[in-house]
Amino acid sequence: MSTYGTTRHNPIPKDRVTDYHTTLFRRLTWEGSVPIEIRVDPKELPANSDRGLECYYLQAPRVSYLPLLMPEIRKYLMDVVFDEAATKVLKEEDWWFETEEGTTLKWHWPIGLIYDNHIISSSLRGRSASSVNPLRLILHLASPPTDKLLLNPSAEACKQAFMGQLKEADFIRWGNTKRMTGLRKVDQDGMWEGIKDDNFEEYWRVASKVTPTTSLARSQSPPPTSMHSRPPSADQAGASDRDGAYSVRSVPVRLYLPDGPVIQDLAPPLLEDGNPLTLHGYLSSHVPLLFSPSIPPSQHASLSDPVYALVQGIIVPLEAEMAWLGACMAGADGWVNVCVGVNGA
Amino acid sequence: MTADNSETELQHSIDATVSKPTSARTSDGLRALEQYKVKDSTKVVVRFKAVGNAPIMKQNFYKITSSNRFQAVIQFLRKELVWAANEPLHTYINLAFSPAPDDTVANLYKSFATDGHLIVNYRYSHMSLWPFRYCMLKHFVQSTTQAWG
Repeated sequence: MSTYGTTRHNPIPKDRVTDYHTTLFRRLTWEGSVPIEIRVDPKELPANSDRGLECYYLQAPRVSYLPLLMPEIRKYLMDVVFDEAATKVLKEEDWWFETEEGTTLKWHWPIGLIYDNHIISSSLRGRSASSVNPLRLILHLASPPTDKLLLNPSAEACKQAFMGQLKEADFIRWGNTKRMTGLRKVDQDGMWEGIKDDNFEEYWRVASKVTPTTSLARSQSPPPTSMHSRPPSADQAGASDRDGAYSVRSVPVRLYLPDGPVIQDLAPPLLEDGNPLTLHGYLSSHVPLLFSPSIPPSQHASLSDPVYALVQGIIVPLEAEMAWLGACMAGADGWVNVCVGVNGA
Repeated sequence: MTADNSETELQHSIDATVSKPTSARTSDGLRALEQYKVKDSTKVVVRFKAVGNAPIMKQNFYKITSSNRFQAVIQFLRKELVWAANEPLHTYINLAFSPAPDDTVANLYKSFATDGHLIVNYRYSHMSLWPFRYCMLKHFVQSTTQAWG
């Protein structure tokens, strides 16, 4: 545990402190990984391929993206399965992934989100989470369905989408993207490099400048004003609550329901009465048919419950505060992805 | 479809079945999901604004069905601008960020609408043909002026 949270005993000046628990949960989120099995579509294997080796298993970071796995897959799967001549004509820009159930996987979704989204869609079909382990993917080598993929599979396109998400999250939080656009290019790139290199420190060295913290005293100011107004000039506010998780206009959050839709709306950290907005509060106001406002959340939530909520693969207690989730359990793109599971059958 | 009424009914039935066995609540959950899958057919106003050298559109207010993905907005814009599919066209919300193409107009409107409009900025890439042509023209003018000078 000593590797987690390095600032616990160090009296560092207040403005750049990330407290022990925030760092701990950020690191746990960062280190989350998911097991994946990749199998080349047997119909697409050339005649000379080695069919005994058509599967590749890997443990992929939740914060990473499929285009970043391509070099590894090429190296360890394709170069073994295919003979040299066949490998040469393989074009990565024609590759695409699909689940066993036929869901096309998007290049710009974080791998953790792909996994959680698969868990909830399996729950709906009455399959337990353990049967999803590993996530079985089929790799196709030709005819990508571009209308579903939306992006090309290059790491550069993925990076652009990632930057777009970071800026959108910034705008959601503060009503502008000054924090993101204020970063030097080399720092912006550093966040992406951090993901590519699976380097927590490299990523958070920059990300801590744009992500709110929970270490400081909760803002005593009244709750945010109407959704369309800009927040009171952030620059004039004291440094102490300016970057606080409870000072944001809204927490960047998306709700994923099994087989769609995705619901995005503003989530102010504090309610009008000054109390923090909880996950249950947010869910019961956006999907009240699944999380009733009148039924208090169960203390012992589990994957076998009729309805459950996953964040980063974890059943989060419904009394968790949205502001805290935004500061500690958001993905590397700044978004809190809540996957709502409904157990069918 | 009277979505409002059935939603209220469903709400009551969920409230009433708290203590019932799981199976009863499960079917409620599945029915609830069906409700949430119903596509939002309401329309919202999208306002297009050109940035930089991109041409201004004659009409820049459009009503677009909320359930559309942002990708549909991009495709619409390309069609209106008669912009080739392989030429880069950058789109932004509130001149601040490019949304994911699979996000819906409804979601973007809820989070980012300004005065009842979703503002979509569009810009041609610096790498595209038009600035190049513009530079060539400028260069031509300059060199001609110099020649005359």
